[in-house]
Amino acid sequence: MGKHYRPPGKKKEGNAARYITRSQAVKHLQVNLPLFRKLCILKGVFPREPKKKVKGNHHTYYHLKDIAFLQHEPLLETFRETRVYEKKIKKAKAKKNEERAKRLETQKPNYKLDRLIRERYPKFIDALRDLDDCLTMVHLFAALPALEREKVEVKRVHNCRRLSHEWQAYISRTHKLRKVFVSVKGIYYQAEVQGQKITWLTPHALQQVLTDDIDFNVMLTYLEFNETLLAFVNCHLYHSINVKYPPILDPRLEALAADLYALSRWFAASTRAPLVDPQASSLSGSEQGQGQNKETSLEESELRLAQLQQQLPSNEPGALMRLVEDVAGEDEEDEDTKECKKLFRNMKFFLSREVPRESLLFVIPAFGGMVSWEGDGAPYDENDDDITHQIVDRPSQTRKILSRDYVQPQWIYDCLNARIILPTEGYLVGRVPPPHLSPFVDNDAEGYVPDYAETIKRLQAAAKNQLLPLPGVGREDLEDPQSLLAEGVIDRAEANEAAERKRQIMTLRKQYEDEIKIELQGASYSSAAPNQTSAEDMEVGEESLPDLQQVAEDTTSMSKVMMPRKKRGLLEAIMKGKQRKRDQVNLLKERKKKIEERQKSK
Amino acid sequence: MVRAGKEKEKESSVAKSEKLKMKKTKDLKPLEAQLQELDTPTLSDSDSDSGSDSDSGSGSGSESDYDDFSEDDGSESEDYESLRDSETGRTDSSQDEGDVDTGDNDGLANDRSNEEQSESTDVHPGVEESDSSEDEVAPRNTIGDVPLEWYRDEKHIGYDITGKKIKKKEREDKLQSFLASADDSKNWRKINDEYNDEVVELTKEETKLIRRMLAGKAPHADFDPYAPYVDWFKWDDAKHPLSNAPEPKRRFIPSKWEHKKVVAYRRAIRKGLIKFDKPKEEPPVYLLWGDESNSTEKSGHLAYIPAPKPKLPGHEESYNPSSEYIPTQEEINSYQLMYEEDRPKFIPKSFTSMRNIPAYENAVKESFERCLDLYLCPRVRKKRINIDPESLKPKLPSRKDLRPYPTSCYLEYRGHTDAVLSVSVETSGQWIASGSMDGTVRVWEVETGRCLRVWNVDEAVRCVAWNPVRELPILAAAVGPDVFILNTGLGNEEEQERIRELINVKTTTSPDDSDNTASIASWHQDDKHGGIRLRHFKSVSSVEWHRKGDYLSTVMPADILFQHYLAIVVHQISKKLTQRIPFKLHGLPVTSVFHPTRSIFFIATKKNVRVYELVKQKLIKKLETGLREVSSIAIHPAGDNVIVGSREGKLCWFDMDLSSQPYRTLKCHPKDITSVAFHRSYPLFASCSDDCTAYVFHGTVYSDLNQNPLIVPLEILRGHKSSNGRGVMDCKFHPRQPWLFTAGADSVIKLYCH
Repeated sequence: MGKHYRPPGKKKEGNAARYITRSQAVKHLQVNLPLFRKLCILKGVFPREPKKKVKGNHHTYYHLKDIAFLQHEPLLETFRETRVYEKKIKKAKAKKNEERAKRLETQKPNYKLDRLIRERYPKFIDALRDLDDCLTMVHLFAALPALEREKVEVKRVHNCRRLSHEWQAYISRTHKLRKVFVSVKGIYYQAEVQGQKITWLTPHALQQVLTDDIDFNVMLTYLEFNETLLAFVNCHLYHSINVKYPPILDPRLEALAADLYALSRWFAASTRAPLVDPQASSLSGSEQGQGQNKETSLEESELRLAQLQQQLPSNEPGALMRLVEDVAGEDEEDEDTKECKKLFRNMKFFLSREVPRESLLFVIPAFGGMVSWEGDGAPYDENDDDITHQIVDRPSQTRKILSRDYVQPQWIYDCLNARIILPTEGYLVGRVPPPHLSPFVDNDAEGYVPDYAETIKRLQAAAKNQLLPLPGVGREDLEDPQSLLAEGVIDRAEANEAAERKRQIMTLRKQYEDEIKIELQGASYSSAAPNQTSAEDMEVGEESLPDLQQVAEDTTSMSKVMMPRKKRGLLEAIMKGKQRKRDQVNLLKERKKKIEERQKSK
Repeated sequence: MVRAGKEKEKESSVAKSEKLKMKKTKDLKPLEAQLQELDTPTLSDSDSDSGSDSDSGSGSGSESDYDDFSEDDGSESEDYESLRDSETGRTDSSQDEGDVDTGDNDGLANDRSNEEQSESTDVHPGVEESDSSEDEVAPRNTIGDVPLEWYRDEKHIGYDITGKKIKKKEREDKLQSFLASADDSKNWRKINDEYNDEVVELTKEETKLIRRMLAGKAPHADFDPYAPYVDWFKWDDAKHPLSNAPEPKRRFIPSKWEHKKVVAYRRAIRKGLIKFDKPKEEPPVYLLWGDESNSTEKSGHLAYIPAPKPKLPGHEESYNPSSEYIPTQEEINSYQLMYEEDRPKFIPKSFTSMRNIPAYENAVKESFERCLDLYLCPRVRKKRINIDPESLKPKLPSRKDLRPYPTSCYLEYRGHTDAVLSVSVETSGQWIASGSMDGTVRVWEVETGRCLRVWNVDEAVRCVAWNPVRELPILAAAVGPDVFILNTGLGNEEEQERIRELINVKTTTSPDDSDNTASIASWHQDDKHGGIRLRHFKSVSSVEWHRKGDYLSTVMPADILFQHYLAIVVHQISKKLTQRIPFKLHGLPVTSVFHPTRSIFFIATKKNVRVYELVKQKLIKKLETGLREVSSIAIHPAGDNVIVGSREGKLCWFDMDLSSQPYRTLKCHPKDITSVAFHRSYPLFASCSDDCTAYVFHGTVYSDLNQNPLIVPLEILRGHKSSNGRGVMDCKFHPRQPWLFTAGADSVIKLYCH
């Protein structure tokens, strides 16, 4: 009789009944593995980890309910039908019956994924939560070349590009972008939409390296879902700001590959139209979809519009428009958004040919700046007098206009991560810019603060007091922490906080030292007391006096002795993790020291 | 055009003939071919001859020609060039001949020339073959196209033209032929012609030919396969159409049947019988989450576990990180020495400006791997452990409350010259005895550290033990196979008298002859040291007194070859009696202990501790230590708790009322535990180990059975030095004070006080 003998007629129980392995699942669903994979990807079914693995450790387990969920999926039937069609097409092609093959190709059953999206993300916020991977993938495919052999069609690449631009346009328009980080892997963006932090990675706009060990079928299945998801998310977001979706773009700009600018124009146009004449637009049949949403949200702004119209000369619709926009925008915006919106206000940027245009066209308007580029369709050209900054990424700039700063693109990213206008000195053309730091790292938690992070912190503190950031502030004024302190620029509250923290640390340290001292004294007393009687062991008592470290070590090892094995393991793991972190920090410090020494010796 | 065709045919025929030659299997030629053969050489010779030949009858001509060929046979195969030459010559000559013929105005001759021309223009394989074989050597053998197997067993291979048998050649043996071939530099171009049974050497031209053919080219080097095409047809002078018929009417009026079909289709379309393919359109995008109200309904299936988000990049992933994030070249090189999995996945790099950033080579791959993770990795909802490591430590009562306990070294007893293996404290606590590797037993005064007495026994003293009875200050010392019962000379006169009487052995050895215990130990009077010498047959490792001081158990460490039922014996001092323990032993015994209050005997074997009732003489308990090798054991003075030390540095506390499994296992020492000890009155116990430390624990045992013993580690006592890999060899508590004596391998005994 086996170890897990189950008498006939008795049902399976527990994990054996609840989980099945992947091959069992595939057999159960009567599909092949690729199809199963596709279903799992589209339905969002993933393996689960049972408490006890009945079939062994090397299997993947699915919950039986998940599999039942797949079994009742109408898509399964569609896929089976598709398979039949594919067989027919193959046959026709083998018989050189191209016509039939082509006809069959057109008649293949279609399927839609909107139901699946609704099912997987019952609320919009759920979809936003899972948007990270979706955005990264869509942005990656937007940068990929169309591959005939991998079935990456031109259409899909274009669609990805369109979707990614639409998303960026929304983020840029609503000033939701928070952090940008230029890494070796690409550019990371972080936006905050409806309280959800969404991070995505866009590859550098270069020819991507394709290796052979990639199964594009899996990626394309994901892409299929992600495209649909992003389209619906975009649609929802656009409707939430009363813009029609899908946007109709200026074909001239589209041809020039300035989609983002075209989209921003569309935004401007479509927000203007309903605001100027809301009744007309809500009446117009084409916009019935948004009509409902708009009316409720626009009532307030209408009212305000009426009030404002009395004050302002009526022949300036543009100015009025902007005012309305600002006022309407600001009620629902949070502090962060407002801050972001104002960062590059009243600044005009011009992009040279060699800078990453797409990224900057996205980022600068997101922080309230105006931007133009070299080429057709640009809003203003290089000779515009109002340009304050020209973004240049070349060894040297020959022709310079004095009224503007020629800075490297890193300046933009560093500014927006720091949320202040940094001095441009370090970023001027031809210089090696200061290090670009990740905005995603909590330096204090990490235990190591790079120099430039501290400089930025000081500048931020200075900017807070000055309220209005001056772009022309000399770097040397801000560099010196002593002068800053002398001027009392550090926020008082912050200073107090720091002092408090310091005091706490001091007291803690003192306490610890006292304890150790007491312990030591106790030890020496006890050894000293009986010493009176003995003659020969004076030096012994001193010898046995353990040092501080020994005492600390002993206490830890003694408390370890009493721990259950499980907890001891956990403690050791924690300690190991901490040690690793400390090692990392020490390594960094050591390297820094070496570098400094080398610089000194030079 | 005709000429070109002829040329081509010739080429093909040449190829054919060459193939034939390679095979060296010749067909019997059809008659016409023979005629041709017979013609051609003569043609090339002279015109007049041809004329005469053509006149002559076919039969006779053929015969004569055969003769010619047989003569030619001797001369070797011709080369291609010559063949070609001869052929062109032949065509020329045939033309010439035509001219000549017309010139000669012989009707018959004219006919003949016409005939010949038609023949040559016709595609006639037989003829063409003959064409090239004009100067081909006729096969020596005349058997025709029959399988050669027919002649396998014969002595001849066939018949020559005269009908004589052609003898088979002597077959060379393999070795010889091989040697010959090795010597012969031309061997590679020699071919054995089985049909004629001769070896043929290919000429240079022939090998060239073969090479060209192997390369897939035309056999002949001069042949140009891509010669410009000459269109021989004249197109321009077509004055009249091919057909002069007028255009039919049907070409001008629409087809009636087509019209009918169109009507039928039209009707079908109108009725909806024929459906057109609609252009594929993208699925519309609409407000999917339009009404958030009804989305609250819960889906019936399992909870969705969102995938963990990818890790956010740190400073080191920046395109322009601070210089301290970039590893030096040595560090990068050292990565190569690491294991694949330990190697950092990402090596930070620095670029001076954004335009220098290259494409990231793993962008697609990482995205793909993320996809794989998303659908392949099992997901579990795990609570992120964010515990303070301090909270993991068990709540223990403060050590200050548990005072007094030994904390620091107070006295050292120096005098031994080698490792002190054992130490024992007298019941009153005034004296200690120690046994050492240097072969001495010493008695020290505790308070002063003065050495009172020394016995020199010349052999390592494994164990010493004071008699637990206060009035009986005698000492047992295990020295090799002997156990000495020594009189320390302490106590008053009366006591000394008793002792002397007690340790006086009147009759040496053999108390009982029938019992085989006699062989275990023999009792001797030892005058040198003034005591009893108990001689065992094997070296004794430990000695333990019974609480009443009359009995003494000794353990001889057992090995497999030794009858281990004799490993533990009990001696009675008063009767000078030795007896073996009356129970069967399981496992290899290490030490034995008497219960402090009852008549219970503990035997620690390597794996377990067995508890025997001495009165009933049976096993009452077996304590499963779960340790690899037990080294020492100590009993709580109350008698219900046992601690066991092991060679792997673990200490087990057994609560005998609770279970036979350890109540608590403490992993305190990294090396072997050599000894464990309980304090008689204080709730203290200690363990000492080869790592030169001794642990002091607090161990309260409550009288309430529901409450588990409280164990608190109190202190780590250091001070001993390691020698030969051994640290502290023994530890004993003072009977009244919270003091601990430790015997070190560095030949020092230390006293730790509170």
